[in-house]
Parts: sequence; structure tokens; C-alpha cells
Amino acid sequence: MKKALIVAKWEFIEKVKTKTFVISLILTPAIIISFAIIPTLLSNPQNSSTQAIGVIDTSGHYFQPLEKVIEKYKTKNNQPRFLLVNLAGKGKNINEILKTANIYTVTGRIEGYLLINSGGTDSVNAEFRHKSTDLSNDLGTLENAFNEVRIDLALSKEGINYKQMKTISSIVDIKNIEVGNEENIMQSHFLILFFTSFIYIILLMMMILSSGGMLIRSLIEEKSNRLIEILVSSCSPDELLTGKVIGLSSLGITQVLIWTLIGLLLVVFQVIPSQVFNNIVPILVYFALGFIFYTSIFVGVGSIVTTEQEAQQITSYLSLVLVLPIVLTIPAMENPGSILVQILSYIPFTIPSIMILRFNIGTVPNLDIITTSIVMVISTYLSVSIAAKIFRIGVLSYGKRPSVKELISWIKEE
Amino acid sequence: MLVVENLTKVFKYVTAVDHISFKIDSGKIFGLLGPNGAGKTTTIRTVLNIIKPTSGTITFEGKSITHEFFNIIGYLPEERGLYKKSRVIDVILYFAQLKKMSKKETLNEVMSWLKKLEIENYKFKKIEELSKGNQQKVQFITAVIHNPKLLILDEPFSGFDPINQQLIKELLLDFVNSGKVIMLSTHQMETAEKLCSDILLLNEGKEVCSGNLSQIKKQFGSNNVKLEYQGDGSILNNLPYVLHVDNYSNYAEIQLKDDMQPYEFLRNIVDKIKVKQFTVIEPTLNKIFIDVIKQSIKQS
Repeated sequence: MKKALIVAKWEFIEKVKTKTFVISLILTPAIIISFAIIPTLLSNPQNSSTQAIGVIDTSGHYFQPLEKVIEKYKTKNNQPRFLLVNLAGKGKNINEILKTANIYTVTGRIEGYLLINSGGTDSVNAEFRHKSTDLSNDLGTLENAFNEVRIDLALSKEGINYKQMKTISSIVDIKNIEVGNEENIMQSHFLILFFTSFIYIILLMMMILSSGGMLIRSLIEEKSNRLIEILVSSCSPDELLTGKVIGLSSLGITQVLIWTLIGLLLVVFQVIPSQVFNNIVPILVYFALGFIFYTSIFVGVGSIVTTEQEAQQITSYLSLVLVLPIVLTIPAMENPGSILVQILSYIPFTIPSIMILRFNIGTVPNLDIITTSIVMVISTYLSVSIAAKIFRIGVLSYGKRPSVKELISWIKEE
Repeated sequence: MLVVENLTKVFKYVTAVDHISFKIDSGKIFGLLGPNGAGKTTTIRTVLNIIKPTSGTITFEGKSITHEFFNIIGYLPEERGLYKKSRVIDVILYFAQLKKMSKKETLNEVMSWLKKLEIENYKFKKIEELSKGNQQKVQFITAVIHNPKLLILDEPFSGFDPINQQLIKELLLDFVNSGKVIMLSTHQMETAEKLCSDILLLNEGKEVCSGNLSQIKKQFGSNNVKLEYQGDGSILNNLPYVLHVDNYSNYAEIQLKDDMQPYEFLRNIVDKIKVKQFTVIEPTLNKIFIDVIKQSIKQS
């Protein structure tokens, strides 16, 4: 056992030092987080500074109430979002005022101006004239504020109180609460689902692929230069395998710890929602079981193949199986109780990712948690012991890849 | 002492090693010889306890080989290679610790070995930064640093230049003096001839020739002598116990009748001719190897 620890320490230290590890450690979460955050940032490019907006109000009724309504819009750092500038006095007639307003806009004194044309008692139209096109978001806000003022003016003309009217006509949201999970109000927000499910599945996949790849490459290296013979003449193949798996798992734990730390920091700085950590314990259990299960498969594969190409071929098939649950996310979200999802919850290859997904879509019955965990533990045990048998013989055979028949005879051998 | 008795290893369709037996005393270098595919590697692997023999026994100092022997065995495989991205010192430390050496012990030993093999400046370099010869020296250190009682070397000289070959040879002779059991597998017959006291020649898993090297040579020798002389060489042709004479400008190669001992012959001719140098010609191991293998192929 002491020798297994020596092997584990070597595998861990030599791999932690590699560029591949450092890159996957930092790049993986960076890519995933940017995938999640960039679209939101793009769709909501809010300015953080107050914007000066000119107002030309031909009716004379709008400016003051508009100024009052617009006060409630704030930037992220709690500054007023807009500062309204009354341009009515900037010229003798409308043409002169427009001329001045255009000059102000072009020279950047104001972002643009709101032209309110009152064509009589009831009809009114408004234009927002500006220099650039990146104000679409502001336009929406201005539109809302303008309409609020317009409706208020029209209603008070009829003797109706706007505030009363608003209370009466306000829309009540129906809250989505699951029985048995009352504290946890479901919010089927894409960002939350993304972080709580996809991110774990993607991280698990990336981790398995990167560490499995590392394992296969190092096994191929050791086989091709016969280092494996020196190793198995210094410790038993079981000690060697145990050492390799412990080393690789500690590498995985290190990775997960650092990623969790990054995740916590992001929650603290409110970059990602805190719901990410809601189901962390069961998720980590499935994560760990999935990692060991797939790693043992990589050990088996790594001890059969002799070239990098062969290894890549088999690795790509394994990664396809791993990605499968991500493809199934949407149907699973729509119908978590469907037969397909149920079946995939009992196949060891898909248990980890499907279960991680199910935890975040709805409540998973305890029975399901227990049975899937048992299936996973048993299949992990089986795959580890089969991998160990293949490893014992496979690492010492060179040349032709063994046939399925030969593999079976290896597994049966005592 | 390593004793191998009736060792047989059968893989699915082939018998890789077929009832071979040999003994290696401590302080002796034993040569395991044979053409490619003769079963040398399989024999080595069973002795190393990497694979289990189908039948037969292997004992070292009276005990059968088990995993406990891992720490007293040193092994240098034929195909060389180390962790290319790792540092020399780290690689040596790793293998030494796998042989149950403490870190402190190893660090004490490492410097003297690096010095002995003239690579002390590369201690902190990555393996890939070293020349092929120097990489092999590092691998040699990993095989011997734990002072193994049983040393198994597969082609230890391949890839070394003549100067380094000499260096390794001297180290091996040091090991002989310190009483190690050394098993050497090689194709280089000249090296085996110089270093090994006993040999085993394998072909297709079977023993074709084994025993003490000088006795084998005698067995395969055809009673030839080389004689450097002054005077009239024609008298040699007329001697009754001479079968054949090859006369060169100042020496002759003479084939004697089987019952004539070389020293007897010398005594007879010293009066008749002025002898400058007299040598008994032994067949080279190389010649024995080729003859024996050819013969065994013919028989099968």
C-alpha cells in the first residue's frame, strides 16, 4: 500500500506541473462562465453613467411629469440614469430649437433628444433623435416613461386617479411552488438552470476527458518505453493501478476544490446566482462516482491500446456518450418523468449527468436517489475490477490490439 | 544464488520457454543468449515475477521468488526510456522510493552515482534535455541505486559509445566483486565472452547449449593452435600428430589430431623449430552461437 502512495504522489505531482492541467484548471471554468455571461451582457449593455437627454415638448405639458417619472430609473451604481434637459427655450421657433438640438447631439453635449409633437388635444407622437444606434435599451425606458406620463395625463383629464387605476389593473404572477419542496421556489430561469445543471455536466465531462486523456497518454508512454516493466518489477500491478487512480482522483479533487472556490467567489461577487450550490452534496456524490467509473474505463482502454491514434478513437466514442445527457436536457426539462429519462437514470454511463440534471429540474424521489446510487456503486466496482484485470495483462502485451475474445479470457483469468 | 528449474511458460498458442534450468552463483555474470524470439524476455519476466510460469520453480537464496523480492532486484530493460518531462533527480528518487529506499538514503547515493557516470551536471535537468547516452546512464542508475542483490540487464551496452561501454563494463566488474548475482541478456557475443563465466543459449524456447563458457569452448574447439616461428616451417607438415597446416608468412595455424594435447605438441616441437609465440586457438562465442543455432534449426 505504501508503494501505491508513492505512485500516487508521483502521478499527482508530475501531472499538476503540466501545462495541460493548469490550462484546463483555469480555462475550463473561464470558457463556461463566459458562455453564460456574455449573452446576458450583450443583451443588457446598461450604461453606468447618467445620460443627458434633451426634451423638446411642443405641448408644454410633458416635461415636468416626465422629469418626475424618469427619476425612478437608476444606473447600477444608483445614479440617476437620465438627466432631462428642457430645450424649449433654445430658439425663437421650432426650427431654431431643432437646429440647436442637432448641434448638441452631434457635439455630444446630449445623447439625443425626445421630440414630443402634440397635434391637438388627444393625439400626440414622439421621436427620439440620436447620433448612434446603441441606445435601443434606453429607448425602451424612455418609451415606458413617456407612456406612463401620457396615460396619466389622459386619465386625469377624465377624472380618474392614475394610481388607483394602476393598482386595479396590475398583473398578479402565479407562483410556481412544488409540493414537498415549498422553501425552494422554482425559478425556471435559463441562467440558473445553466449554472446548476449544465455547468456540472460540462465540468464533469471536461474533467473526465482531460484526466482520462492524461492517464491514457502516460500509460502509452510507459508502455512504449517499457517503463511499465520497471514499475511492475518494483510493485505489483494492483499497487500500480491503485496508485494511479489515487493520484488521478486527488488531481480531480484539487480541480473540483479550485473550481468550487472560483464558484463561491463568483457567487459572492454576484456574477452567478447562489442557487448553483443548492444541491451541491448529491451532485458531488454523483460527480465523484461518475469520475471513478469513467476513469476505470480509461484505465482499461489505456492498457489495451499502444498508440495515441487508437486511444483518440476510443476516447471520442466515450466522450459522445458523456455529452448525450446535455442533448437530452430540453426534453428532460419539459418532462422529467418521461420513460427515456427514467431509463437513462439507470444506465451507469448516463446516471451521473442525468441525475445532476434531474436534481435541478425538480425534486428527485429518495427511492430514485438510493437505487441509482446503488447501481452506480456496483457498476463502478465492476468496472474497476475488470479494468484491473485488463490492466494486469494488457500493460505487458505489445503489438496487435487484443480481440474481444482475448479480452474476455483476460478478465476470466485468475 | 538464483536457481531456475524446469521453467516452462506456455502462452495460448506458443510455448515461449520450454523446460529450461540454470543456476547463477553470487559474484558471477550469467549470459542469457539467443536469437530474437528465443524466449529471453519471457525468462527474464518470470524471474522478475512480472508473469507467472506455467510450471517450474525459481528460487533466490533458497526462497521462491515472491513480491517481497521486488526491492532486491534491479532491472534494466532492453528498450530504454524515462519520463521525458521530468527532472533527472526526481525520476531517480521515484524509482529508488519504489524500491523502498528512503528519500534521505537516495539523496546520499544519487550524487556518487551521478559522479561515477560523469553526469553530475545534469541533476536538475529534464530528461528530454539529455543526450541519448546520458539518458541511458540515468536509467542505469535507476536499476542499481538500491544496491540490488540480483541484477538483470538486457543489452546494457547498446546505445553507448566505446568509452561509456568501458565505463559500464568496469561498474559490472565492481558488482561481481561485491558478490551480486548478475544476469546479462545480450546479442553482443564479444561482450558476453569477456564478461560471462556461464552461459545459456536458447532457441525457440529450448536450451541448445549451456554451462561454463570455457568448457563449452573446449567442447566446440577442434584442437587448433597458432604458432609464430623462425626457420623452416615445412617440417610441420610431416609430423604424425598434425592433421592440417595453414602456413602464413611468419606464422601457421595447425590442426592437431584429437588425442594430441597442445602442450604435448609444444614440447615436441621446441627442439625442431624456434618458437616465438604459441597460442591455443579457441572458437569464438560468436562462431559457437551461429553453429549451434544453425544446427538446432536443421534438427527441427
